[in-house]
Amino acid sequence: MGRNFASLRNKDTMVSKKRRHRDPLIIRTPEGLFCPKAKAHIDPWRPVDCALITHAHADHARAGSKHYHCAQGGEGLLNKRLGDHIIEPHPYGESFALGDVQISFHPAGHVLGSAQIRIDDGESVWVITGDYKRDPDPTCQLFEPVPCDVLITEATFALPIYRWPSMDQVMDQLFGWWDHHIRNQRTPVLLCYSLGKAQRIMAEIKERSDRSVQVHGAVANLNVEYEQQGVELCPWRRASESDKGVSTDLIIAPPQVAGSAFLKRFHPTELAMASGWMQVRGVRRRAAIHQGFVVSDHADWNSLITTVKESQATEVYATHGETRVLTRYLNEHLGISAERLETAFGIEDGVDQ
Amino acid sequence: MNFVQLFQMLDTNQSTNAKRNALVEFIGTAHPLESALAVEALTGRRQRRQLKPSLLKQAAYQAFAEESWLFEECYAAVGDLSETLAILFADQDAVSQTEDPVLSGWRARQLELSKKEPDELMTELLSLLKSLSRDEAFLFLKLSSGGFRVGVSKGLVHDAIARAIAMDRAVIEERLMGEFIADESWLERLKKPVTQDELDARPLPFLLANPWPEKEALDLDTGTVAVEYKWDGIRAQLIKTHETIRLWSRGDQDITEQFPDIVETATTLPSQIILDGEILAGTPEQLQTFNELQTRLNRKRITQNLLKTNPAFFKAYDLLRLDGEDMRDKPLIARKDALSQIDVIQSQVVYPRCKEDIQVMRQKARTAGTEGVMIKHQHSIYIGGRKAGYWWKWKLDPMTADCVLIYAQAGHGRRASLHSDYTLACWNQHHELVPVAKAYSGLTDAELKAMDQWIRKHTLQKFGPVRQVEPLQVFEIGFEGLARSTRHKSGIALRFPRILRWRQDVGPEDADHLSHFETLMGDSHAV
Repeated sequence: MGRNFASLRNKDTMVSKKRRHRDPLIIRTPEGLFCPKAKAHIDPWRPVDCALITHAHADHARAGSKHYHCAQGGEGLLNKRLGDHIIEPHPYGESFALGDVQISFHPAGHVLGSAQIRIDDGESVWVITGDYKRDPDPTCQLFEPVPCDVLITEATFALPIYRWPSMDQVMDQLFGWWDHHIRNQRTPVLLCYSLGKAQRIMAEIKERSDRSVQVHGAVANLNVEYEQQGVELCPWRRASESDKGVSTDLIIAPPQVAGSAFLKRFHPTELAMASGWMQVRGVRRRAAIHQGFVVSDHADWNSLITTVKESQATEVYATHGETRVLTRYLNEHLGISAERLETAFGIEDGVDQ
Repeated sequence: MNFVQLFQMLDTNQSTNAKRNALVEFIGTAHPLESALAVEALTGRRQRRQLKPSLLKQAAYQAFAEESWLFEECYAAVGDLSETLAILFADQDAVSQTEDPVLSGWRARQLELSKKEPDELMTELLSLLKSLSRDEAFLFLKLSSGGFRVGVSKGLVHDAIARAIAMDRAVIEERLMGEFIADESWLERLKKPVTQDELDARPLPFLLANPWPEKEALDLDTGTVAVEYKWDGIRAQLIKTHETIRLWSRGDQDITEQFPDIVETATTLPSQIILDGEILAGTPEQLQTFNELQTRLNRKRITQNLLKTNPAFFKAYDLLRLDGEDMRDKPLIARKDALSQIDVIQSQVVYPRCKEDIQVMRQKARTAGTEGVMIKHQHSIYIGGRKAGYWWKWKLDPMTADCVLIYAQAGHGRRASLHSDYTLACWNQHHELVPVAKAYSGLTDAELKAMDQWIRKHTLQKFGPVRQVEPLQVFEIGFEGLARSTRHKSGIALRFPRILRWRQDVGPEDADHLSHFETLMGDSHAV
């Protein structure tokens, strides 16, 4: 909560104060993270000339810049989110020259077309993870570790309490809950992020059953894009005005619909939420959600630590989430130099906001 | 079903019905010792602490070794010690699917552990947690450390027991009074045939009042009504059979155990009687406010000390059974007459000569420490429900004050995204604004929306979900009563505060001072 734009303004801070790298490849400007040698920003929060985008979530992909680069597979989502802009997709792993550096996108496993960004100026290699997870997900390519000198990582769930259960376990639980409530004449409603999480759940349903779902309009638009990219989803249709009463289909909708007219038509409903935050009972209860499913598109504690180790980075920056815990742990217990880096990421992400 | 599965059902179902169904199924299918121990835990009958929280913490520190700061971070994020340990140390991949009972085994383990030396205890505790699923570990720790709570009331559990064995709820309540022996034959004992006396101990449906239609009152024949004060307490039936004394509130709650002083006084009543009346705080000579009654209702244990600081008594105003005879189809005046023959504290009745008599009595209601007046038809019989033309309530106009909005918080449910919960303040003698009330309702949807936007633009500071706003908006609030309070900075607590209107016509400097409440308190009865 302590992040806001005011604190980001007027501070052209050098990312690496310790200056082990004489020329830091990335600095922070009022517009966001910036690579001077490429003259490009990474996930800028204000319009710029050239933007490198890790993924299409709103806190990472903002409209108004002149030129966008992203990983191939993500351009469709980006197009939907940003409207009419110049977007240049690049296949995973293929590097291209930008200014004085080589750039490449690598799978981040977060959502369809999500990427880590690797920047190499011949002297050192920097990697920005963006948001990522290491668990398998049928809707996007599996995360790949990328060796580097400096790693800029997310830290959304950087606490040992965040350990993700297997999808088998979660889906068993979900199906049990779903059946229980349709037996009791209540409509099961699953609240989750409409880009990524919704499609991941639908693809997992597809792999395990022939169950069908109805989705909120916000989800439907993105489903189409996923299917065009060859992702197989379970049978779905857009919930329409004419749908009334209890549904035996699961309803999938973004969290914002809680308490809205959209839900009223399926009355009586039973709400559940799929999110990493559901790991903690108190969070679920404060959100007035009775059933929580622990499904996250972010890295859990073990994944974060493994990724740092595998990257072999000697310097780490943590951008959003539990940055204080992660950097302290890396400094004190793994002997890796780590610092916090304030950004505007994570602000529109998740139910905790 | 076992206790873990029951807990999952109770924890993840929002409707009372679903919770009740889960309880009924559990009681019907679980091993009787499992259900006995579960009932003990669910109704708060047993909260003995076998493992101290400090020991649980130490065990975690030991496991985290030099990373113990990391455990502190986890605990802070979770906010519950048992849950933190369960997440960190239980077997994450285990899913509790067994239907086998767990509680008696757990109790034996708790006892065993509690006798160990700390070092040994910690090692054994951690290896035990590793063998449990997360929910199992959570429940084991909660039950062991005496902090178990889940969202079901004692009444709901009793209701479910009654349904599970097809018995009358009131009989079950009666039979569960006093000491509960958690053994395998607990249900058998409850199932004994019902006696006449137990049937007699059940409450009768309450007769409820309608609001007084002031306009139509012009046609009222004052010769047909009886008037008394509307007492500000808990509506209840006091039942005495040959063998027991029970106190039932209107919410279908058996509250006998909360009021041993009333039960004590009732021992001198004739048997086979049902009185309808009000539980009031204080003594007949010195009434206390409704707040003091809340204390009695909320306590798990009624101590001798509490009986002294918060005495309560029963004021009767109707007689539904006398000497075993049903009095309900007799007219009110006959019931009142019979009631007056009984040695019990009772509400005075006035038979008005004219409408002014009623007015005058209502004007005195506040000084008398009451909420207004009740007007009852002299010939009304007693029927359950809100019967038209039988009883009316004519409440006092609320007291009011103009207050300044200082904090706002998002509401719940339908208002989840609107800042609709307001903290309102008045001026003290140092010209500071001190909070006097929290109010949740009273504005129109359009006003709420407009205020929400205003609040977002005029936020000074955020404390989690609470926004401190510029002290500029004034609201008139209404409330039913007020009492001195040591818990509030203002020194007063208001009863049922709600917003009457948005005073866009005045500024914050026009809001009331605390002295305003002092004046109001002087007008009403001493507290």
